[in-house]
Amino acid sequence: MSVTEERVSPSSMGGQGAKTVASLAKGWADRSPKHVAMREKDFGIWLEADWAETWDRIEIAAHGLLALGIDVGDRVSIHAEDRPEWVILDIATVAVRGITVGLYPTNPAAEVEYLLQDSGSKVHLAEDQEQYDKVDEIDPSNIAEMSTIIYVEERGFASTNDQRLLSWSDFLDKGREHRKNNPGAVAQRMAAAEDDDVMTLVYTSGTTGPPKGAMLTNKNSMFAMEKIIDETSAYPDGKAPNQNDQILTYLPLCHVAERIFSTWTMLAGGPTLNFAESIETVPQNLREIQPTLFFAVPRIWERLHAGTIIRGGDASRFKKIWLNAGMKAANSIGEAKVANGGSHTAKSRILHAIFYPLIFRAMQEKIGLRHCRRAASGAAPIAPEVLAFFMGIGIEVYELYGMTENSAVATCNFPGRLKLGTVGEAYAGIGLRIDDETGEIQTSHDGVFAGYWNKPEKTAETMTDDGWLRTGDVGEWVDGTHVKIVDRMKDIIITSGGKNISPSEIENTLKASPFIKEAMVVGDGRKYLTALIGIEMDTVGDWALRQDLSYTTYRDLTTKPEVQELVQGVVNDCNEKFARVEGLKKFQLIPKELDHEDGELTATQKLKRSAMIEHFGDLVESMY
Amino acid sequence: MAYRRPLLRTAYEQDAAMLPTWFQRGAFFLLIFTFCLAALGAPFLSGIPSFFLGGTWINPVTNIFPLGIAALGFLILVGFTGQVSIGHAFFMGVGAYVAVSLGGNGDGWKACVPFHDEVGLLDQAAQCGMGLPMWVWLPMAGIGATLVGILVSPAAVRVRGLYLAIATIGLIFIGLHLGRMLPEYAGDFESGRRWPELQFKWWQEETPLIDMTSDGKWFGLIHLTEEQKQFFFLLGMLLIFGVITKNIARSRTGRALQAIRDRDIAAEVMGVPEFKYKLIGFAISSFYAGIGGALFASYNGRVAPVQWSLLLSVDFIAILLIGGIGTIAGTMLGLVFVELTPEVVKKFTEWLADQLGNGGLTGWVADVLLTQGGDFGPIAVTPAAPGWPMSVFLWNFVIFGVLIVVFMIFEPQGLYGIWLRIRNYWKGWPFSY
Repeated sequence: MSVTEERVSPSSMGGQGAKTVASLAKGWADRSPKHVAMREKDFGIWLEADWAETWDRIEIAAHGLLALGIDVGDRVSIHAEDRPEWVILDIATVAVRGITVGLYPTNPAAEVEYLLQDSGSKVHLAEDQEQYDKVDEIDPSNIAEMSTIIYVEERGFASTNDQRLLSWSDFLDKGREHRKNNPGAVAQRMAAAEDDDVMTLVYTSGTTGPPKGAMLTNKNSMFAMEKIIDETSAYPDGKAPNQNDQILTYLPLCHVAERIFSTWTMLAGGPTLNFAESIETVPQNLREIQPTLFFAVPRIWERLHAGTIIRGGDASRFKKIWLNAGMKAANSIGEAKVANGGSHTAKSRILHAIFYPLIFRAMQEKIGLRHCRRAASGAAPIAPEVLAFFMGIGIEVYELYGMTENSAVATCNFPGRLKLGTVGEAYAGIGLRIDDETGEIQTSHDGVFAGYWNKPEKTAETMTDDGWLRTGDVGEWVDGTHVKIVDRMKDIIITSGGKNISPSEIENTLKASPFIKEAMVVGDGRKYLTALIGIEMDTVGDWALRQDLSYTTYRDLTTKPEVQELVQGVVNDCNEKFARVEGLKKFQLIPKELDHEDGELTATQKLKRSAMIEHFGDLVESMY
Repeated sequence: MAYRRPLLRTAYEQDAAMLPTWFQRGAFFLLIFTFCLAALGAPFLSGIPSFFLGGTWINPVTNIFPLGIAALGFLILVGFTGQVSIGHAFFMGVGAYVAVSLGGNGDGWKACVPFHDEVGLLDQAAQCGMGLPMWVWLPMAGIGATLVGILVSPAAVRVRGLYLAIATIGLIFIGLHLGRMLPEYAGDFESGRRWPELQFKWWQEETPLIDMTSDGKWFGLIHLTEEQKQFFFLLGMLLIFGVITKNIARSRTGRALQAIRDRDIAAEVMGVPEFKYKLIGFAISSFYAGIGGALFASYNGRVAPVQWSLLLSVDFIAILLIGGIGTIAGTMLGLVFVELTPEVVKKFTEWLADQLGNGGLTGWVADVLLTQGGDFGPIAVTPAAPGWPMSVFLWNFVIFGVLIVVFMIFEPQGLYGIWLRIRNYWKGWPFSY
């Protein structure tokens, strides 16, 4: 697999063109123009846009890009929260054979500069003044290639004097004019599209070193749709996504997982895409939309779980009696199903039939997943306890595994063959192996990326000699069929006693407690293991109120001896589940909430271990 | 298969729907349907009200419908606009007298000129009444009351709260005084005069278009008694005004009124013209009162001027406070409770009086509660002078006084608030929020 830009060949006229996300969008507009494609909440109501209207806007935006001089292989960067403009510009870019680069809304200015410089983006979309300010800080000569900055929210731009600025509506006007003068220009580009065209750069979050832009091609995206979305056996009712389905999109669209489970699912099967107002309103938006397909990262599942527990704790006495009975039943159902590959046993089926009308139905409705026919978790490891809870109340969550570099196509738990604690089985017909020596998982299929943008040496590092992709994850086979992820290769801790320990398993067990938000196990080259723990402000604050414990700030809360005791209890419970050498001797509470801006977390909210050691070195040393 | 998603709102109309959920729609129509079946004499359904109110239950129930229209007007003024008025009975009276002047039998328009005759004050024979059909007198009753309302409102909208309440008491006394002064409209002060009958005529022809004062077939379809006809007519009127009220509440006008209720200064700052909307609230409320008063008087046939008194106004306050201020459903609950409980108590006392001397438990209860001359029962059977023991009529006042106090302290949202609590308890299931 060569990694170059030469793959982007000059357009060959005529013909159908390769299948791309743009051609799929056009297909929906032709087949069902009246079906609702997207919904966005505005002033309390969900505004709907059907496929005809959506495609019209995509086409206009594509013409707008042509008017701005976007050529084949030019990069268009998008720095926005999830919103229709994101999806429209993304698809429009692919339609004109450009390359979409997504930026996380939380990316600080320095990272924005790096990403824009590295990708050499020509047109940039900054949704509002906040995101524009990050570009404004950059010396224009550093990003000389950038000619246009499109903004969507007009507020705050009145007195800005920057020649590169163009409002979204002006951009669309440009597109309309271009369409009038050059009808068919976009169609021409689309017809010339090739399978090997790079469609997007997905920047890896970069827990170590600067982010690298993984190049995904049209072929990669179609392969991911075929394997992840259209594989009917992955759905409990055996039906691929269709037009009756509803999706709630709320995770950053620049992440490959959200792109697959929202935009690409919409394009592959035709479900309606609903944009959540923000990450904070996800619980409420879930209740409103009641999505039928739902993908979430472990953090969201943990929060939904914690929210249920807390609200249960606040229930009145009579309701608590019912809730406790329901929770007991849920535990027993969960256990039975876990032992039975995710399917009901006779006993669990009866329990479910009794408690569904009493508790579970209302609970599912409150969580917003009553109509959910397939829920999935991925992008990070999740604690089995959380999955068992959801399974108990009747929401089966299927954990799956993949990474940006293989278009997230690797393994998935299938209904009826689910094994908790594993990431499931490899998709049919793909190459997946675990290296005998290092235990590293390696994949080989059409979803494997075209390489890192402008970093051939890094690309070479991630490929084995025989052309397989090295995932960097250590895995092991369970029963010969299922894959269990041990940890990231470079995260494995070797204690001074020479024991190999996987920290993520311990960390996830800790994080299954509603009181704990972050955990980082330390111990590489040390005598024993310790942990840095970040508490969950909401739940611990709530708990403190109940204990009549007054506090002012997060920092103040972490210094309370009662809170230390509370966390000690969680740590003790955790230690009981692991072998002695894997037990945590000591822990320290992190005195601040971790933040992307401060460099402790990546854009996807993963811990940056090196930065953590740097910032909280004193705390770590105090434990040894 | 597409699922129902009640919280997924794609248009503001869904938020403002009259009966937003299918459950509410179903319950509403079922209620109306059962009501009608009961009035038609369906075996089981009509048995329930006749257990509480006796065989002629249809009369006291029909009587509350016109009062309900007036109560809705009171809801608009007090519940939506937040203007506490005690003059509601006055506007009912205005409507009633406009109706009787236009529609009642009398001595022509000449008698309608006040003090037309030097001896007019004593001349019981000359009465104002033009014998016009209902389609004239009923709307005019509302419009007349509205005009009087607008006339007094510039004074009324300048004061608020307690001051407005006291200012409007004045209206009641003015009304009572006029009733005494103008017998050509009001008839005899003690016994009143006859009101036009409830029937549709084009003009003054002999056989009315729709007859509601005798038994017979309606529209050649269904045989109804006089009572049933009036029941359906007045129920229909109440429904119409209920729908109008709901529409006012969810429209721009209603939102403006409620903004003034919640904080008049804030509303003014937001651009709601306070004076204008207080006046509109006053005018609409007066219109309702006028229609309600006219229908009430016509249904009862003969009403004395002394009827439009402070006690009637207090009835409406009780309806709103006990039912639950601010909602139509609450007002209807309060209406049924406040207006029918005295009837039930009366029927119960009559039944008790029959049980006296029967022996057994009921006889003993009757003996304890009732008084006949010498013993100490708290309820007087014979209409006695004020004092101990009290008559059923007086006991009702005591009961409502206590109920108003109890509701104000323990359930300010009234009967409807109790329902809301029950509903929210189950809505949150299995959580508390």
